Amino acid sequence: MKALRVMSFAIPIILAALLMIVVRPVYPFVPEATGTGPNAYTVDAWPAGAQPINWLINPTRSSAITGSTSVTTVIQAAFATWTTAPDTNLSVISSPGTSTITDAKNVPNGTNLVCFVCTGVDFSASDGTLALTTTFSNGSGVISQADIYFNPSPKSLCFVTDAQSGGCPTQGDSAQDLQTVATHEIGHFFGLDHSGVVRAIMFPFAPSLLTTLSYDDLAGISTSYPSPAPVVPIGKITGTVNMAPNGSPVFAAHVFGNSTTASNPFAAFNNIRKTPIGTLTLPNGSFTISGVPADSYMVMAEPLDGPVDNTAVEWGLPAKTPTFNQQIQTNFTTRWH
Amino acid sequence: MRVSTPLKVSLFLTLVMGMVATATTVVPMSIEGLTAASTHVVEGVPLQTWSQWNPQHTLILTYTKFQVQRALKGQAPAMVMVKQLGGIVGTTVQKVAGVRRLEPGERAVLFLRPGDVNDGTLVITGLMQGNFSVRTAQNGTQIVTNGMPDVSAYSVSTGEVTSYQGNHLRLDELESRVHKAVQQ
Repeated sequence: MKALRVMSFAIPIILAALLMIVVRPVYPFVPEATGTGPNAYTVDAWPAGAQPINWLINPTRSSAITGSTSVTTVIQAAFATWTTAPDTNLSVISSPGTSTITDAKNVPNGTNLVCFVCTGVDFSASDGTLALTTTFSNGSGVISQADIYFNPSPKSLCFVTDAQSGGCPTQGDSAQDLQTVATHEIGHFFGLDHSGVVRAIMFPFAPSLLTTLSYDDLAGISTSYPSPAPVVPIGKITGTVNMAPNGSPVFAAHVFGNSTTASNPFAAFNNIRKTPIGTLTLPNGSFTISGVPADSYMVMAEPLDGPVDNTAVEWGLPAKTPTFNQQIQTNFTTRWH
Repeated sequence: MRVSTPLKVSLFLTLVMGMVATATTVVPMSIEGLTAASTHVVEGVPLQTWSQWNPQHTLILTYTKFQVQRALKGQAPAMVMVKQLGGIVGTTVQKVAGVRRLEPGERAVLFLRPGDVNDGTLVITGLMQGNFSVRTAQNGTQIVTNGMPDVSAYSVSTGEVTSYQGNHLRLDELESRVHKAVQQ
């Protein structure tokens, strides 16, 4: 295996604007996490014993859904996008049971429901929310329940179950591919938080049609659910981000590795797209970028100040992180290394 | 890259109309849109926050006593109760991606509306979109952001990535836009 080019470095932070290098922001995959120590966390994930994960669907369509493909087929396809990802050991039941639950308050503990008509989570037609996923876990990050709710009546928009189906019944409404939204929500179902990689399915803003995973999504899911026999060998990039001149550690910096070559180790997989991969630094400034295929990488650190910022990433809510109970740092600028 | 104001406006409209945010999945909303979708817009400080199971023991809800210092829209009492989905009770953690918790003592401007249940509480419009934190910049300017200060979008067909400046602005600008939206 070609050796990874591992870079371990300290970043001098110079506040002079003349030294700033403006680059397009890209950020890494970030798992939902639960702190286990001063500089340690565990990734929120389903336990191996829970697989294949059982899920139910209330197949009743809201008036916002259009298209000839069944909603069950769409959700199955969205699950399969994740469970068939290379280097990943993850499974859900292929044929879900059906449910008649229409209120989130009535979902029994331990039930994993997908619902298009449910009340009980304060959806509004006009506040822009299209879907949400809620997960339950214990203090060790072990997920025991996840439920996905789609807004039954989003304003000026419809969900289409067929990408080629043509548009919304109401003229002027925007068509949103249902599988695109479902694929993102299922990423949360499996324990992933938002990514800042614009091309990632877990990026907070998605195009109207995008159903494949990026390298960043793949790194997230394969790190949380690693295959014992990966088809594409992966490694890690480790290092530390420190503040100059005193060398104090930088917490919650976004650090990512961006390939410097045309190599595409996952080229054999049609549903995987090449993007940067990364992570966040821990309170001691250390980072480990996992799920990295063999290649040459440019490693870069950016402050957590947009487009994904401390409010979008669970770790950084809002000034102190619930995981580490420490103020994040954004008082530095982006530089190439 | 510098972008002219008309181009910025055009870019903003194109992006807002052409993409969907999945923060939990939301459509990006303007200050004006948030104002229209809210019954109350208030500025103030969270005083106390706690989480508890709902009566059915199926959902964890987090409640926050929010001290209102100014009402920008609606007749708000001196104290409002804000309810958010998710929280921590004992060793059980319920997470909702994109929901930003209110921290006691940290100033905020909230866009609020009634929720599903008529229990006297209000919910935040558009999840994190209607939750603006207030901070003071080094030059003394009051800045507000709802966590979506910049937005990038990816075009599958062209492979292009574009971005625009979003809801990251001065407090007085936000107040002015809310007032104008209320009057319309």
